Amino acid sequence: MTVTAPAKREAGAPRRARPPRRPRFRRLAGYGLPSLLIAPLLAVVVGVVGYPIVRTVWLSFHEGENLISGPFNGLDNYTALFADPYFVSALIRTTVFAIVCVACTLLISLTVALVLDAGSWMAKIVTVIVLLPWAMPRVASGIVWKWIFNDQYGIANWLLVSLGFDRFQGFAWFNSGFTSLVAITIAVVWHSVPFIAISMLAGLRSTRGEVLEAARVDGAGFMQSLLRIRLPMMKPLLTILGVMSTIFAYQSFDHFLVMTTPPGGPSHSTEVLSLLTWLQAFTVLDQGAAAAMAVVTFVLLAAITAVYVRLSKEDR
Amino acid sequence: MTRRVLLYGAMLVIVVVSLFPFFWMVVTSLKPDQDIFTKTPEFLPTSPILDRYVHLFDGAVPRQFLNSVLVAGATTLITGVIALLAGYALARYKIPLKRYLLIVILSIQMLPQTVLVIPLFVVLRNTGLLGTYQGLILSHLALTVGLATYMLRSFYLDIPVELEESAMVDGASRMKAVRLVVFPLVWPGLAASSIYGFITSWNELMFSATYMQQSDRETLPVALQQYFSSYYSDWGGVMAASVIFTIPVVVFFLLVQKRLMQGMVAGAVKG
Repeated sequence: MTVTAPAKREAGAPRRARPPRRPRFRRLAGYGLPSLLIAPLLAVVVGVVGYPIVRTVWLSFHEGENLISGPFNGLDNYTALFADPYFVSALIRTTVFAIVCVACTLLISLTVALVLDAGSWMAKIVTVIVLLPWAMPRVASGIVWKWIFNDQYGIANWLLVSLGFDRFQGFAWFNSGFTSLVAITIAVVWHSVPFIAISMLAGLRSTRGEVLEAARVDGAGFMQSLLRIRLPMMKPLLTILGVMSTIFAYQSFDHFLVMTTPPGGPSHSTEVLSLLTWLQAFTVLDQGAAAAMAVVTFVLLAAITAVYVRLSKEDR
Repeated sequence: MTRRVLLYGAMLVIVVVSLFPFFWMVVTSLKPDQDIFTKTPEFLPTSPILDRYVHLFDGAVPRQFLNSVLVAGATTLITGVIALLAGYALARYKIPLKRYLLIVILSIQMLPQTVLVIPLFVVLRNTGLLGTYQGLILSHLALTVGLATYMLRSFYLDIPVELEESAMVDGASRMKAVRLVVFPLVWPGLAASSIYGFITSWNELMFSATYMQQSDRETLPVALQQYFSSYYSDWGGVMAASVIFTIPVVVFFLLVQKRLMQGMVAGAVKG
């Protein structure tokens, strides 16, 4: 190798003969090598993602008691689903939960990003700390938050009582659906803020520059330049982050499984789509109905994703 | 001046809220029971004990830890190789339908896991892979390869093509040019997507809980969730187990957090 390399240079391709533009590089590529390179990726995408999606759709039109595929039954699974009050309320509950989660996540993330963007020697260290909750396993964070919201010994109740809210003395957060959802929302938002906040920070940094400087010279205040200049400039990014957090909120599963007893309880009041689907498949063992639920979720999220692709394209 | 004070105040609040659950988890795991169950919380363990950790390490936890390391390690490795190859192809070649392929791999992470969980269960059952490491690893690949490939592609795109071209003009074969010139530059991207794969696999609960029912193959999230649902009044023990579960990801994360966020933000911003 070391012998042939210099020889070749002299013979075939002197440096100055190199064409200035890229097209020549493309010519080297037949489809052979690239298809070899993406083959493993395609195998995974088709085998472990594509096939299951098709199969789930297929299952949703079939009976499937005891996790065994039965005969074709048309739309029965779907009509049964929308006649099932537990499913319909889970659908509505998940939607409301997702909207609240997203609103809180985006607002808190923007505040955190602005604080970090304001800059100081501490901001760098704080950025790393802000990210930490993202790395904490969701099961572990669910358990810790459940302990924080413990009725007798939880630190949340202690704090609230110390602040003068006496009704939280021994308050049992997980005895009703609504208060359980409040606790779960806090846990989920704590977990999802880091990523969104850091992405927003990157976005805010990219808006710094001449325009902002010009606005400052013209006397625009902090709020004015934020609302009139920086946020509008970040609109594509904000759209994507909004959709991403909506989708992640819709998919919340771990926190619900860990924080509610029995899963989805008390008395079905915290059942969300992912949990209900999973229970339907692996506890009730009705894979037809579960597949139909999965398809409904999928279509819903696909619609949200389509809106996102649309919006981010329009902004280009 | 007031602005400075406000800023530092806000930073303090952010730091406390971010770190408190970690702190509280560790502190609770170190306190003897009579200090855990108090009306007024004790913020620092006055007489810390390590009994719970000793107890956990005598039980099934080492095995579960090993299971998790195996599954997450293999998932990370395979994800890395797949993304390294495909990312290069997607960054450098003209591939038919490339735009759509990119949209597909980026939207995989938007997929509800519930769509995959049932058919994968059936497939694994029919192929005898249910309850095996290979089966779980396979299912985890579905969650990791998409974004990992996308991340690596954006790292490759940041490396000028001219570098490879001049190496090739200097007589290196394409393979050699890639190995000697491109890989050394793209490894931060590989690190980022590896950590992403590791964290995803290590924390994953739904597939693990469904496919790994035998207790000797259980991974940590499953074990912890089950332990919690059966002994949930043993807060100290549950916290100790959570700490053991959390330490590897947090350490891993701190080692490469900079690269990771670069990659993930690139995925979000450029996507």
